Amino acid sequence: MNMTMDPKQNNLDFSLVLASSVHDMKNSVGMLLASLEQVIEATPPESEEQGRRFSTLHYEASRINSELVQLLTIYRMQNNFLPINIDEHYLLDTLEDQVARNHTLIETGKIQIDMDCDPDLRWCYDNDLIGSVVHNVLVNCSRYTRTRIFLSATVENDVLKITIADDGHGYPKEMLEKPASMVENAELSRNATHLGLYFAENIAAMHKQKNRKGYIELKNGAPLNGGAFHIYLP
Amino acid sequence: MTQFDYSKLSVLIADDFSNFRSTVNSMLQSLGVIDVETAGTSQEAIDWCARRTFDLILCDYNLGAGRTGQHVLEELRHHELISHKTVFIIVSAEASRNIVMSAYDCQPDDYLMKPINTQMLRQRMSRLLAQRQSFSRVYAAMEKGDTTTAMDVLVDMSLEEDRNALSAQKMLGEVFLQEGFYDNAEKLYSKVLEQRQVDWARLGLAKVKQAKGELEMAGAWLEKIIEENPLYLPAYDSLAQNWEKRGENHQWQFTVQKAVDISPMSILRQKKLGEVAQLNNDFSTCVDALRRTVKLGEHSCYGQASNHFQFARVVSLGMERNLDLDAGLAQEALKYLEDAEKWYQLDEAQTNQALLLKGRVFAATGESERAAELLTQAAENMESCEAQLEVHLDQVSVLQSLGKREEAQALLKSLQEMYKGDQDALKKLDAFLDEPASEANRALVATINREGIDFYNKELFDDALSCFEKARKLFPKHIGIQLNIVQAYVGKMKNGQQDRLIANECHACLELVASLIEENNPAYGRYLKLREMASATVEFL
Repeated sequence: MNMTMDPKQNNLDFSLVLASSVHDMKNSVGMLLASLEQVIEATPPESEEQGRRFSTLHYEASRINSELVQLLTIYRMQNNFLPINIDEHYLLDTLEDQVARNHTLIETGKIQIDMDCDPDLRWCYDNDLIGSVVHNVLVNCSRYTRTRIFLSATVENDVLKITIADDGHGYPKEMLEKPASMVENAELSRNATHLGLYFAENIAAMHKQKNRKGYIELKNGAPLNGGAFHIYLP
Repeated sequence: MTQFDYSKLSVLIADDFSNFRSTVNSMLQSLGVIDVETAGTSQEAIDWCARRTFDLILCDYNLGAGRTGQHVLEELRHHELISHKTVFIIVSAEASRNIVMSAYDCQPDDYLMKPINTQMLRQRMSRLLAQRQSFSRVYAAMEKGDTTTAMDVLVDMSLEEDRNALSAQKMLGEVFLQEGFYDNAEKLYSKVLEQRQVDWARLGLAKVKQAKGELEMAGAWLEKIIEENPLYLPAYDSLAQNWEKRGENHQWQFTVQKAVDISPMSILRQKKLGEVAQLNNDFSTCVDALRRTVKLGEHSCYGQASNHFQFARVVSLGMERNLDLDAGLAQEALKYLEDAEKWYQLDEAQTNQALLLKGRVFAATGESERAAELLTQAAENMESCEAQLEVHLDQVSVLQSLGKREEAQALLKSLQEMYKGDQDALKKLDAFLDEPASEANRALVATINREGIDFYNKELFDDALSCFEKARKLFPKHIGIQLNIVQAYVGKMKNGQQDRLIANECHACLELVASLIEENNPAYGRYLKLREMASATVEFL
């Protein structure tokens, strides 16, 4: 017999369903990460091999977590559900918070963190959103760097510039050319969606002062001869 | 950054997961904190704070059983179980949106996203505790009620070029506004805005304008803030106040409604929505908002029996006015009245109110016998003690609903006598009377009425009608106003503006007067004449 579906039943808003399950997944991964950090703290790695495994475990879990957070944020951004709370903050606080948040990742990866930030430097931005951009880049750098990550914040021509750089192989050529648009044409290159870049670009652009708005930039080379991620906020 | 002596610190951890409590506990121990207590439920957390003070409270947002960290913080403040000296941090695995919305409403000192680790915790703690220390003189002065000293210290702090300056400016702006130093507040916010366009300073400046009575300018600014940041809840609250002050009740309701749509969990806004919707005769919005108020009250320190009572009153009123109501509403009202008895410790007056309101619901659903029983029971209780005006007013309503008009009139008359010198009480009585009894309302109705008559004489019928309708909202039973409305409608129709809608309104108004007026009323002649004129005009429609 030929059955027709009730069109009303079919009208389920898939993006909403997806968003709420992403929300659940994110909470689960969050629990997983917390337990993992406890395990690592309670039983420090006994060999180099084990340390590397811990590091991989932690990195992959962090990556899923931050990717889910990004998905959720983008969903909210598109539905005008994303509150933006711009106020003056100290850059040092924001950067240190994110380094602290990734403490385990940095320790297990034996990464040296250098920071160059005037303790009195303050600027207007949404601390949660910019914090999550810095966090994502940090997670990413911790995977691709060899030994060091460098964070800095400076003001040039009345624009704040936050830099997160590593001494890895640098960003692939196609990413350097046209970063944020890559998500929009949904080209999946080397298993990476570049969702993070899209996210960062959008968050930067939400920061406006007068006629200017924020943007991001990817470069290779200075300061550590690896990749360098810059976010500019007016 | 200053190193803290963590061994002297006292911390409370509130989380419904024991796993999380022990994890955070061991993090704190590794930092050297010795004095740590834990709570697995919101009630445990509140009980701890009733017993002793803490330097720091780490409270999970989602505490289970419908309770959140916001509920805990609100309750602690409501019962003054916590002072400025305690740092309150909300910890959450929730999406940041809910937390940001919640933070607008309850303003915790900070919030932390799970998963958290020792390093994050140490950083946040040292930062917040350092800030707390810097503001200790301000808090001490405020606790003594010495705002002058608090302001002096804050002025000094906000001029410093250090990391406390910004918080000091924010706090100073609020204190200026609160204490009525509007010029100082204006200067402060303008100075901040010269540097950066931040929402809190824009809102502050709009509040200054509002407080100074520049309502239109303040309103325009607030609308602009909302347009640019549609989720900035505090701006909605100020804008709602703005419309309220301007007497624009529909705009007022619309603004509260928008804030409620964004953040439906706020009991105080739901309650406000119920109030304003009732003013606007928007019955269904009013009932919905009051229902939510009752339900949210189960977990909130702002839950009160009076919210339950108000629901029953509004539902009864709807039934008495023959509005086409959902059949379940009467049952729901009865259930909420019973919940009120279960959830709250009712005093004598409230117990009688609950009886009377149950009676009113029964009367409205046609169960006169049960209604009369409850009425007698309440009246007996009330004889033994001196009942409050509010209880008597509920009594009047039951009598009216049961059709005992004379008894209701007699009670109203004795109440008018009893509260002769009490203008506040007379104002409350006004809503039940044909003519206002309080001086303020008498003057008000006279002014609005006069304005309306001026418009009428100039044949500006719509303006006249809006004046009379404003007056009618204040005194729904004032016969003179009702008749003025009829007359304005008649004028409008005679002027050639005839349609079914106007005729219907006019007719409804006449019917209302018919139900209120007695033949011996001095206005009876005028009523008959208007009735005749109206039917003559409507006839050739």
